Formats: sequence, structure tokens, C-alpha cells
Amino acid sequence: MMATMRKQRQGVVERRTATQRWLKAGLLSIIVVWCLFPFVWLIMTSLKSGARAMMSPSMFQGPFGLGNYREVLAQGFAYNLRNSLIVASMTTVICVAVGALAAYALIRLDLKRQGAILGGILAVSLFPPISLVPPLYTLWRSLGLLNTYPGLYIPYTAFTLPLTIFILTTFFASIPEEIEEAARVDGATPFQSFRKVALPLAAPGIFAAAIITFVSAWNEFLLASTFAPRSLAAQTVPVAIAAFTGTDPYERPIGSITAACVIVIIPMIVVALVFQRRIVAGLTQGGVKG
Amino acid sequence: MGAGPGRVVVSATGSAQARRTKPQGLSRRALGRVFLSPSVLVMAVIALFPVLYAVVLSLFAYDGRAQTGFAGLANYADVLTAPRFWASITATLLFTVTSVTFEFAIGMGFALLMNQTFVGRGVTRATILIPWVIPTVIAAQMWSILFNVSPGFVNNWLGIGDFNWLGQPGWAMFTIVFADVWKTAPFVALLLLAGLQTIPADVYEGARIDGAGAWARFRYITLPLIRPAILVALLFRTVDALRVFDLPQVMTFGQFGTETLAILVRQYVVQTVDLGYGSALSTMTFVVVLGVGVAFVQALGRDLVITKGR
Repeated sequence: MMATMRKQRQGVVERRTATQRWLKAGLLSIIVVWCLFPFVWLIMTSLKSGARAMMSPSMFQGPFGLGNYREVLAQGFAYNLRNSLIVASMTTVICVAVGALAAYALIRLDLKRQGAILGGILAVSLFPPISLVPPLYTLWRSLGLLNTYPGLYIPYTAFTLPLTIFILTTFFASIPEEIEEAARVDGATPFQSFRKVALPLAAPGIFAAAIITFVSAWNEFLLASTFAPRSLAAQTVPVAIAAFTGTDPYERPIGSITAACVIVIIPMIVVALVFQRRIVAGLTQGGVKG
Repeated sequence: MGAGPGRVVVSATGSAQARRTKPQGLSRRALGRVFLSPSVLVMAVIALFPVLYAVVLSLFAYDGRAQTGFAGLANYADVLTAPRFWASITATLLFTVTSVTFEFAIGMGFALLMNQTFVGRGVTRATILIPWVIPTVIAAQMWSILFNVSPGFVNNWLGIGDFNWLGQPGWAMFTIVFADVWKTAPFVALLLLAGLQTIPADVYEGARIDGAGAWARFRYITLPLIRPAILVALLFRTVDALRVFDLPQVMTFGQFGTETLAILVRQYVVQTVDLGYGSALSTMTFVVVLGVGVAFVQALGRDLVITKGR
């Protein structure tokens, strides 16, 4: 009798697992569609050419061609890409360097009022950017920093520092103190201990902070549209896209806009695919304490 | 846990002697201040200075950009009695509450799903990141085109002809919330997933053996254990939602009931400039957002504290 009961129970478990698996697959495909469908629409629309294709509500209405991409590049979009790349890279390098120093100081270097400093840093990340823009605009104008790279990457650094410091303090805190003790006994100064022991061990955190900072700087719109609105010397990608005008000044040029969007998104998706594990690790370690 | 004078510490090279080498360079505390100062400097200039500057400006009366005299708190009185200000508070709160609620509901669902092991987990995670890496402005353009009456993509899918999503009060807000939820629910899912992954599987096993159903497991095990993750994500999302600017600006230009605080501030500081009034508005926004943020942090309390050497 025990044998039949066992067999019956096994049958029940197997059936439940199969249903569960189908359910899981169904829900997973919902997630994938949710995330990818607008992107697919972007690509299809950017490849359309001609008014009939553009005005048609169907995604698959041809004819197709690369005309929109030519149009976008003719408007100087390559400059915008260059600007965004430079600004985002500068922001990332400076923010991570400065932030790593600050995070290490807060965790390891005997500062008084650690909690108050952390609280202050957190408070800074709560400031609404719109409130900061007008005075900064006036200051930037008098300093001649409008339409320049530093005019953008300095504020960007300030805005991404709190999260970077937050992430890196968690990573530095997880390095056992014994390792640095040993280095100190070997004669290392605190700075050498930082550079040769702590930094390499916190590399995943640094990497994650770098990616998050880069993405934030790449996506930023408010400051960029105020500090570098038009000049191709510093106009970034989001501002350029928002400002696209086509042949008809009253209609948004859907073709150019979607083509520009695709140009911008493709590298970001590659980044997401390649670095997804590190990004998740960085976010989970930095933002959450279980 | 420092190495005091009497302790013997095993060095990295294995020699069990306490070496008495005097460290070169700065002491730890001095080095700490040096390390910290660039960050503090940058944040003070970019974040602190404008706030103080705006407060000062808000105490004066302006005709456009020209100062016309000391106004005391008159600008603040004007702000607090302006219907447009309260309308923007309503719009901002409506946006915040609805978008955060949906982002958490959907994000939690995604996270619970992704917490199961399955083939293709990495690809799914990468897919989930895609809405996050897309610049908000681009997502806004995209949804704005999709919802637009012409060529009417959304209308076509739903088969409802000529519905004007972007041009009616109520529905305009819906489109903005929708775009925000689309973009951010996956990100919230990631944050919640992190919390879920800290729960050991045998806790669930024990509950299952004890006969707890799926809903009971969720309510009595999952939710309490990921409370810190939820609260942190809630804090950041709420504060971000209160400051929303890109989406309503690009999709509806702040019309039809979507004028949020940030858009209103921009109106008076960049477009129809009145520096005194605009600065007062700006300061009020700052106070509101900071107030909510601080309230959250108080509630979170110890969950946010970083402990040394955990």
C-alpha cells in the first residue's frame, strides 16, 4: 500500500510542476514582451520610409529603408553622440574617483560624526534638480561655463556622488579589517593600504557604481537642456532628440526621432546584455541591506 | 579592533611579529579629511549653494529679472494662495501615488518570478534592464508617439478609433503614469529581487512542510523579510516621482492636468520669469521633497545605517 501511495504522491507533484512550468513560461514571456515590444516598434518605425508608411498605424507597413538614419546623421547627430560620450565618461571617471575616496574615508579612516556626514550626503540626493537649476544657470553664465563640457560634468558628478558613495561604502565595509591590518603591519601607509588592498577588493562595487553613473549621465535631460541647449559643441543626445524638427514644423518627425533613439539605445542594450550580472550585483549590494 | 601596542598581529608575509615601523604619510584622520573634501566641495557648490541662493532671492520682489525691493515673505504668501500651485501639488501627488503603487505591484510580481531558477535567467535580467537604460526622454518621445491620435498606434491595437489620450485631463495623466510604470517597474523588480535573494530557501521549505499555502508564505515570510529592500526602493522611487519633469514635459508639455511641481517651477524661473516668485516656488518644492524624504528616513531608521565590518 505504501508503494501505491508513494506513486500517487509522485504523480501529483509532477503534474503540479508541469503546470507551474507553463505558468512560469507564460509570465516570463509577458515580461519579455513588456520590455522589448516598444523597442521592436522603435526599430520598425525607424526603418520606414515615405509618408504612407509613417502615417500608418500598423508597425509592419512598408516600404522600408535607411533614409531616416541618413537624415539624422545629416543633422549633426554624430556630434551629439560625441558630446554625450565625453560628458558621461568624464562624469563617471571623476565621480567614481572622488566617491571612492570619500567612501573609504567614511568607513575606514576614523572620521567623527560619520552618521551625520552620511545623512548629509543622503539629503543632497533628495534635492529636486529643478530647484538647483536657476541659480546654477546664473553662476554658470557668469563663469562662462554654458555650452561647455565642465558645465555639464561637474553638476552631474555632484548628483551621482551620493549613490556612488552609498554603493562603495557598502563594498568597503565588507572587506575584512584583518587584511588591511596585515598590510599595515607590513609597513603600508593608510593611503597605500587604500590603493593596493581596498581598491582591488572593492572592484565589483566600483564597476557597478561606474555603470550606474554612466547611465545616469547619459540619460540626463534637465540640466543638459538648460546649460547646453543648442550649440553642437556640447549639446547632448537627449536634448538633441527632444529638439528634432523635420520638414513640417508642426509635426514631430517620427522617422528621425525613432532612428536617433535606435542609434542611442543599441550601445546601451549591448552594455546591459554584457554587464547584466555586475549591474545587478552592484544594485543589490548598494541599495539593499537584507 | 585596532592593533594596539601590546598585540601581536600576523602579517601578510606570515611573520608573527608586531613590527614597529612608523607609517609614512598622513595620519588616518587627516587622510580621511583629505579624501572626503573633494566630494563635500563638489556637493556643496552644486547642491547647497543654489538652495541658499534661491532662499535669498525669494525674499525680494522682482519684476522679471530686475529687483524692486525687499519682500519678506510676500512671495511665499503669493505661492501659497495661488490655485495653480495647489493644482500642481495635486498633480504631483496623484502621479506619485499611482505610479509608485503600480511600479511596486508589478515590480514585485516580476521579482517573485525572476527569483525562481530557470534557463535563460541572465537574458531575462538583461531584458529587464533595457527599459532602465533607455533615456527617460526617449521613452517619453516613444510613448508620446504611440499614444498620439495620429497615426494612432495604441488606438489601432485597441481598436478604439480616435481616442485622444494625450489631450484630455485625466487621460493625459494616465499616459504619463503608464510610461513611468513601463520604464521603472523593471528597475523596482531588480531592487526587490535583491531582497528576495537574501531569503534562504529552507525557510520556505519549512513553511511548505508545515502546510502554508503560497499566499500565506508570501504574507508571513517574504514580506517581512524583504521589508528593508521595499523601504529603500520606496524611498528612492517616491522622491524621484515627486520631482518628475522629463515625462510630463515631453509628452504633454505640462498641459491637461499634468503640470507637476517641477514644471511649474520651470515656468516661473525659465519662461515667464519672476525671480522672486520663482525662487519662492523653488524653495517650496525643495521643502516638500526634502520633507517627504526625511520622513521616510526617520521611518526606515536603522535599516539604512551602514555598519562597519559586517
